[in-house]
Amino acid sequence: MSDEPAAVAARDLTKRYGGVEVVSNATFALPRGSKIALLGPNGAGKSTLLGILSSLITPSDGEAAVAGYSVRQNPLALRRSIGVLAHLPMVYEELSPIENLEFFARLYEVPDADARIEELLRAVGLWRRRAEPTQVFSRGYHQRLAIARAILHRPAVMLLDEPETGLDPAGVELLDELVMRDPAVTVLAATHLVDRTSQWASGVLRLERGRVTEAPSMPAPLAEPDAASQPVGASS
Amino acid sequence: MAVLRKDLQLAWRDRSGWLSAFAFAAVSLLVYSFAFDLVATDVRPLLPGVLWTTFLFVGIFANGQSFQRESDAGTFDAMLVAPVSPATIYLGKVLTNLVSLFLIELALLVLATMLFDTALLTAELVLVVAIGTTGYVSLTTLLSTLGSRARARAVLLPVLALPLLVPLLIAGVRASGGALGEPVGSAPWLLLLVVFAMWSTVGGALLFPLAVER
Repeated sequence: MSDEPAAVAARDLTKRYGGVEVVSNATFALPRGSKIALLGPNGAGKSTLLGILSSLITPSDGEAAVAGYSVRQNPLALRRSIGVLAHLPMVYEELSPIENLEFFARLYEVPDADARIEELLRAVGLWRRRAEPTQVFSRGYHQRLAIARAILHRPAVMLLDEPETGLDPAGVELLDELVMRDPAVTVLAATHLVDRTSQWASGVLRLERGRVTEAPSMPAPLAEPDAASQPVGASS
Repeated sequence: MAVLRKDLQLAWRDRSGWLSAFAFAAVSLLVYSFAFDLVATDVRPLLPGVLWTTFLFVGIFANGQSFQRESDAGTFDAMLVAPVSPATIYLGKVLTNLVSLFLIELALLVLATMLFDTALLTAELVLVVAIGTTGYVSLTTLLSTLGSRARARAVLLPVLALPLLVPLLIAGVRASGGALGEPVGSAPWLLLLVVFAMWSTVGGALLFPLAVER
């Protein structure tokens, strides 16, 4: 049994919309550095669960913590620790790649931002097109920029919702290289590409009708509320 | 400041929304100028109503667009998952809308000065417009957020905003009348505008986190 706190943990997590339980009493814990595939049919509650863990959606009941920070008690610190990549690229089409990343670097107060931006734009193959408005980019290039945006601030936990959308094989390889194979990063990725999960996933979290039907074996319980507002690894 | 800088950058890059709002307002002023007999009538008592009607529709037209664009592209969510308080995002958006709308209003005052042959670019009237616009954008920015996820969002903003804007519009019209020489003067109505602007800005910053909650 590991004493190390979970990178992502939920206890009795529930979200209701108009009396319908979209996520129902979800309890699980993901070890640090694990790469977990979030599987389930359409409408299983995957996006809602990711929304709760990224503090975009307020849970109706239960508790969750990401990187040691409670979604209810410490959302700002939690947001500093997560990277979010969804099927929408979440970048500004009127701005160039470099302007997009400069904006998000200011929001996240990324140290030595210029060097980090150049490093990432080179890594995703957009350095030569760094000054072009992204509205002329293909869907795949938007998603490459989205990868750079999501990891710009070196998050400890990546929450991904169908991240392969629009990516060509080279783009998917890039995603694997920059995110899925990074040993320091914990990944929870909703995907329908079940066959591909064997290439990166160390475990599965399966949802069906909002209920967890399969979870990685991780015995560490969710930290108590007081401890949940401390970062992972912080001494109390 | 990051949100303000980015939003101003976006407003400038995609200025078609604001330009079409300005074009619409300029045509409205032109039609009003044809409707009034400028030789036989003193148009000054009519101008506050003309100006605030025009400002109202320009704001509604342009304000909703900026939120709709953010919502459709998912960039609003990208800001919400960043370590920035919702109140900061709200104030950045209010400032952007304030700067953009106020610049259009100044241009409209210049145009109205020419069309109605009346000096409108006075310090007092510009102050009235600036404070009135602050209250206006504080409220409509909050309401745009509420409406941005609704299917009928194009209709929702005016329906929600217009009843709440009634005190501001009355005060704006009366203060503008005072600034243009009405005997009562602009001071009491200007005070109401200041109170409205403070109430809507503080209220907006407090309510914005609830407006973006899901």
